[in-house]
Amino acid sequence: MIWERRRRCLILLFLLTTAFFACHEGTRSNSLRIGLVEEPRTLNVWLASDANTRKVLSLIYQPLYVVDPETLDLVPWLAESMPMYDPDARSYTIFLRSARWSDGTPFTSRDVAFTGRLIKSFKVPRYASKWRFIERIETPDARTVTFYLKKPMATFLSGTLATPIVQAKEWSAIAEKAKTTEKPLATLINHRIHHPVGTGPFTLEQWCRGAFLHLKKNPLFFGTGQAINGHTLGPFFDDLVYTVFGTSDVAILALKKGSIDMFWWPIQPGYMADLNRREDIRLFTNEKSALYFMGFNLRRLPFNDVALRRAVAYTIDKDFIVSRILQGQGTKMFSVVPAENRFWCCTDLPRYGDGLSRERRIKTAFQLLSDAGYTWAVPPVDAAGNIQPAKAIRLPGGRPMGRFTILTPPADYDPHRATSGLMIQEWLRKMGMPAYSRPMAFSSLLQQVKGKHDFDAFILGYGRLRLDPDYVRNLFHSANDKPRGWNMSGYHNSTFDGLADRSTSEMDPIKRQVLVMDMQKLIARDLPYFPLYKPSVVEAVRRDRFEGWVEMLEGIGNIWSLCMVKPVNNHGA
Amino acid sequence: MGLRPFVIRRCIEIAVIFFVIMTVLFVLFRLAPGDPVERMVDPSMTPEDAQLLMESMGLDRPVWTQYLYYLKNMATGNMGISFHYGEPVIHILMDRLPNTILLFTSAIILSALLGVFLGKIAAWRRGERTDMLMTVGALFCHTLFLPWLALIMIWFFAYHVGWFPITGMVTPAVWIDPDAGMISKALDVLHHMALPLMTLVLTHFGSYLLIMRSSMLDTLKEDYIITARAKGLTEKTIRDRHAAPNAALPVVTSVGLSLAFSINGGALTETVFTWPGIGRELVFSVSHSDYPLAQAAFLLIAIVVLTANLLVDVLYAYLDPRIRY
Repeated sequence: MIWERRRRCLILLFLLTTAFFACHEGTRSNSLRIGLVEEPRTLNVWLASDANTRKVLSLIYQPLYVVDPETLDLVPWLAESMPMYDPDARSYTIFLRSARWSDGTPFTSRDVAFTGRLIKSFKVPRYASKWRFIERIETPDARTVTFYLKKPMATFLSGTLATPIVQAKEWSAIAEKAKTTEKPLATLINHRIHHPVGTGPFTLEQWCRGAFLHLKKNPLFFGTGQAINGHTLGPFFDDLVYTVFGTSDVAILALKKGSIDMFWWPIQPGYMADLNRREDIRLFTNEKSALYFMGFNLRRLPFNDVALRRAVAYTIDKDFIVSRILQGQGTKMFSVVPAENRFWCCTDLPRYGDGLSRERRIKTAFQLLSDAGYTWAVPPVDAAGNIQPAKAIRLPGGRPMGRFTILTPPADYDPHRATSGLMIQEWLRKMGMPAYSRPMAFSSLLQQVKGKHDFDAFILGYGRLRLDPDYVRNLFHSANDKPRGWNMSGYHNSTFDGLADRSTSEMDPIKRQVLVMDMQKLIARDLPYFPLYKPSVVEAVRRDRFEGWVEMLEGIGNIWSLCMVKPVNNHGA
Repeated sequence: MGLRPFVIRRCIEIAVIFFVIMTVLFVLFRLAPGDPVERMVDPSMTPEDAQLLMESMGLDRPVWTQYLYYLKNMATGNMGISFHYGEPVIHILMDRLPNTILLFTSAIILSALLGVFLGKIAAWRRGERTDMLMTVGALFCHTLFLPWLALIMIWFFAYHVGWFPITGMVTPAVWIDPDAGMISKALDVLHHMALPLMTLVLTHFGSYLLIMRSSMLDTLKEDYIITARAKGLTEKTIRDRHAAPNAALPVVTSVGLSLAFSINGGALTETVFTWPGIGRELVFSVSHSDYPLAQAAFLLIAIVVLTANLLVDVLYAYLDPRIRY
């Protein structure tokens, strides 16, 4: 009796175990599985602020123009052709492509005008400044839209026209309802969207919160089968599944095991040797539109002196930072505009200390400081011209230089910046400067630097700079030297302000280019920020699943890739 | 004092404590360094845009006004809207809560069962090699660094051997499949749950084992155990029927308290295993200064713990009238 019961139990256990392990991770040959490190937060395009949310929404809501992967020029997307500018009327006329929303209704100029009016009337934070200068929008017919500008605005093309367009039918009811509430903007951006209607290559099928997000190919996508700027678009697969992983370690294991086809997050140098050895994994290395820099507080001693800032620039060895700290996965920067942004980046700039030996750097910095009136108890260069450990630097008035801190994010947030801070501290101490690198929680660092202006120097970075160089004006214009303003260094230069103001209203790209170059020259001369480096973006995909990834600035994670990758032959298309 | 006045007095005390917790949470998050808006802006946005964002979150108002709104909302059961999700935080928490309860309650119950089972054997074989191995093993497992153990488990069982999925709670392919039934979906969740559960049980059972062993050793000295032996009962019957049930009482108390605390999940476990629970949301909300979400998550934990305390107090007062005085 007992044996009979035990036998039944064993059979049941066997069946359960078989069923349990039979729940393997199924693979559909025609679905692309992408790993993310954080979950998208919302489907409301007006609230979305984080990169992971944009990775989803950018495939659903589309702008009028996108950037070409090779030339980085604007390419008509929902628009049919490049805009026609009428300088007398200060108007841009755009002809729209024949397209349909994912619910089958036609995409018209009314949707474009509605989007603009919605942003303007609600003052949607992320887009308001890009539409503030639009006086009115006219729609002569269903496929023509004309924007009238209050004043010439250079960012219209790359900023305003890159705004995602929403469907008037879907959003007009939401907007009307929001207007009747006490806080219309809060109601609008907090409205929960369950099934976004877009014109993009994919539509939302299912969002299992905390686990995965499933997009399906949009059969009504305007680009399918079309050649846009020489690129024939798909999508060439049916399903796109985003899976969330808590850490990079686990996501990379999933990639190696074949649970995902692509990990949409930069791979840290520590993983590369292992991934490079594998034949089933392919790594893509691309440049990033980024700026990592050392900033100085120009409002107070000691960094209110440009000679000191230049001397600091000479002591910093960017080659060391890139080769040792970034392990070669990055490039040195000399301008606040990344070099890959070829049209706007100025190459004719001083390259403080670039290519110099350690000894030469110290001697040049010593010379600069000596000429500016700095003295030492023990100088870094002795009378015979030999390098020695310096002690107790004094300011030009004879006062000892007080201890100063270099604020950096902590190593767990960004090991590169934290380690760079430590190295810079050591290089400056060799010059007799009482420098202290202090890692600080990122939020606190921002509050200290941007909110309170209570700092000496800091190392920060912008990981996703727009291609339009208008941010240079934002970062250094004296009008932005206020709490929460972008001019964190407190840089005041009326010449720069004049150039910056002119650059925003200069509609001729060539003339604007000259202005932007001059702005960069002033920054490189006065050094409120000293550009350090920008890391490369290394991304990993499985070779055996999909091919045809499109590399561009910022990596392979872009709409072109997702419209063009195809399953490899052994899986069938 | 009668039971009713005692309960009323405890309810008032708990209401006061809850109010204090609410206020402390509000103040702490405002005093903490960091700014919710700074994580949401980029250099293409003007300070005016950032100001609009602040206004939409209600952060432009004086702190006192924010506090009054907070109290008013709490009084009406409105815990606010998350800055990042743009949804009522109660929806987000209620979405995550079942996942946390499923994993952590299962882990606590399994740990307790294993701890009781091994603890009684260790006590029964006191001084023998089995006892030493179990005690040292329990201490060893209890002191393991959980994230490290979790990664090792994932690497070995999920990646190397391939028995289990690599993290998460579900397999998208199963849940996307329109033909997949409820049983296959339930099995899929169990399959994903196995590794985090094993990790949690490994790190938790030790404490229950030690409590059980200690309690069992005391029980074995009781007169009724000697009586049972005198009656000629088998060793197994004495151990399992007479000693173990009585010795397990401290474990039951410990399990009860652990269950109350289990709703806060384990930030580390949930992060490494990508388990979509309260713990991960807590980490996210605090690191991104999402005040409404963080406040609500902590308040939810406070509510459950205070309620559990109240129930225990009332139960004790009912069972032992001396406590009421």
